Amino acid sequence: MKSLREHIQRDFSKNVIIALSVLLIALLIFPKFSSYTMLNLLTRIFVISVFAMSYDILRGYMGFINLGHAVYFGGGAYVAGILYNKLGTTIPVFILSIAVVVLYSVICALVMGKLSFKKGTSVFAAAMLTLALAEVVRNIAESWRDVTNGTDGLIFKVPSILSNRIFFYYFSLIFLIVMFIILRKFILSPTGRVIIAIRENEQRAEFLGFRIENYKLIAILVSGVSAGLAGLVFGTFNRFANTELLSITYSTNALLYTLIGGTGTLYGGIVGSIVVNVFQNMLLNLRSIHPIFERWLIFLGILYIAVILFMPKGIVGTLRHFIENRKVKSDNEKSSKTEKAPGE
Amino acid sequence: MMGEVLIKTENLGISFGAHKAVSNMNLELEEKVFTTILGPNGAGKTTLFNLISGLLKPTEGKIYFKGTDITCLSPVERVKMGMGRSFQLTNVFPNLTVYENVRLAVQSKENIGYRIFVDHRNYTSINQKADELLEKVLLSDKKSFIASKLSHTEQRKLELGMVLALEPEALLLDEPTAGMAIEEVPTMIEILAKIKKTGTTVILIEHKMDMVKALSDKLIIIVNGMKLIEGEPEAVSKHPEVLKAYLGGGVIDGINT
Ligand SMILES: Nc1ncnc2c1ncn2[C@@H]1O[C@H](COP(=O)(O)OP(=O)(O)OP(=O)(O)O)[C@@H](O)[C@H]1O
Ligand SMILES: [Mg+2]
Repeated sequence: MKSLREHIQRDFSKNVIIALSVLLIALLIFPKFSSYTMLNLLTRIFVISVFAMSYDILRGYMGFINLGHAVYFGGGAYVAGILYNKLGTTIPVFILSIAVVVLYSVICALVMGKLSFKKGTSVFAAAMLTLALAEVVRNIAESWRDVTNGTDGLIFKVPSILSNRIFFYYFSLIFLIVMFIILRKFILSPTGRVIIAIRENEQRAEFLGFRIENYKLIAILVSGVSAGLAGLVFGTFNRFANTELLSITYSTNALLYTLIGGTGTLYGGIVGSIVVNVFQNMLLNLRSIHPIFERWLIFLGILYIAVILFMPKGIVGTLRHFIENRKVKSDNEKSSKTEKAPGE
Repeated sequence: MMGEVLIKTENLGISFGAHKAVSNMNLELEEKVFTTILGPNGAGKTTLFNLISGLLKPTEGKIYFKGTDITCLSPVERVKMGMGRSFQLTNVFPNLTVYENVRLAVQSKENIGYRIFVDHRNYTSINQKADELLEKVLLSDKKSFIASKLSHTEQRKLELGMVLALEPEALLLDEPTAGMAIEEVPTMIEILAKIKKTGTTVILIEHKMDMVKALSDKLIIIVNGMKLIEGEPEAVSKHPEVLKAYLGGGVIDGINT
């Protein structure tokens, strides 16, 4: 059995470990110095990052566009709200809600997977199917007023410890770290490798003897449950759920985080989530300066277009490319004989 | 030389609309016999492979593998039974390393199941086998290259390595030298000769005559989706019908000289 230290050293270079440690310490002491607004912004970023990473499993690693990914995220938020409202705001209910969200996400993922991964379904048709499924769930949430409070959205209370902003900040940070480790482990597992192979060349993977549909199902299960849990934490954080969380807006948001951050890296989702949320926050603050910033969505759109035009691989992808180029250059200068291949 | 029949087709055929790409195909491919399929462009050779490997479903006839009717089995099930194939157009995982390409193939063969929390690098026997295979196809020094950065020839070798990783009983190779420069063909012949020695049943589609001559125990000539003739290379090449069908195709000259 290898020690944790060896494991970390195998995957990360010394500089990265130092940088991450500094970042972690900074994040741990951050609440001491920060305003509640900043604290909430970071908390939001942590949670949204998990949602973005879950999306990356499908889009970045498997090459599947899911336009109904919000069904897990919104569902998670609703489950939390409904259970708190019906059963009370206690920690056992919170734990129960985790189990229910997992169950809910598994069911959604199985239905979505079984329908859209059928052999012969085109990428486009599959994406439309995921969208349609999410719309069905959104419509249910909209019309099932007794439970969901319809389009007005569901307001709820949460266990008192979870409404403590500082506690929740740490809770979300740990949530992000744990989910990152789990998803990374998944990607490094033999099953994760096959999922990457499917993205690269589905036919070859099939003719190597991999049952493609099973692997795709596993991917959407892992991705869906992760997104569901992110939604649960997000709902608990906001103490509010509405049908927008189930809508295509949130699915495409997830897509855009990975587009901006970079796909197939997991980090990309985190970076995308930081950039978009910080930018959005800035624009919202600028509203008081000039009314044009009321139209903040336009600016966000411009940001998306700029990134896609100038950094088609996203921020992380472009950075990696840059670092590798430099490495190749310096390797060449050292007149190395062996060419270094880019990672993953 | 006659072994047991490994792959058998009965009246096999497929039509694309009105066009019969393969028809009335009755084949018996014996174990440990190196069979080469020859025929002009568009004769239906690749389509025949697609039928045998399960990429296409036949519109008529049956396919047997090791005595089992596999006509309705999926490609994956055929792979699991011991059938491996390469493609006419190079078919690898372009953005993964050479090593990872082969490692994935070994992983499939080892049948480790859907593990999700074990690091793939911890399977030492898989890693070792992947290294051995890279040696076999002469790509050890390109191990950490991204597959798409390899030369065309190297990619063909890589794909061969991947199929070999499956340790197939029947190995279907669709023009493994397609697009290769002439001077690179001998290494491919060498690799295939080694495979032949291990007792693997190889079914080869090939146009390059050096290769056909060096390796084949049996030839099957296909024209217009139908079997024209089959038999030992010498006999087949002298057959009048072959001479007639192959107007200056170069095939006959190649074998007779
Ligand atoms: N999926 C398909 N749909 C329609 N027509 C097809 C399909 N696959 C093959 N064909 C047709 O079937 C015929 C046989 O094609 P095939 O690729 O099997 O020839 P081949 O013998 O492999 O030729 P080559 O030596 O050029 O590789 C061709 O006329 C081709 O156009
Ligand atoms: Mg062909």
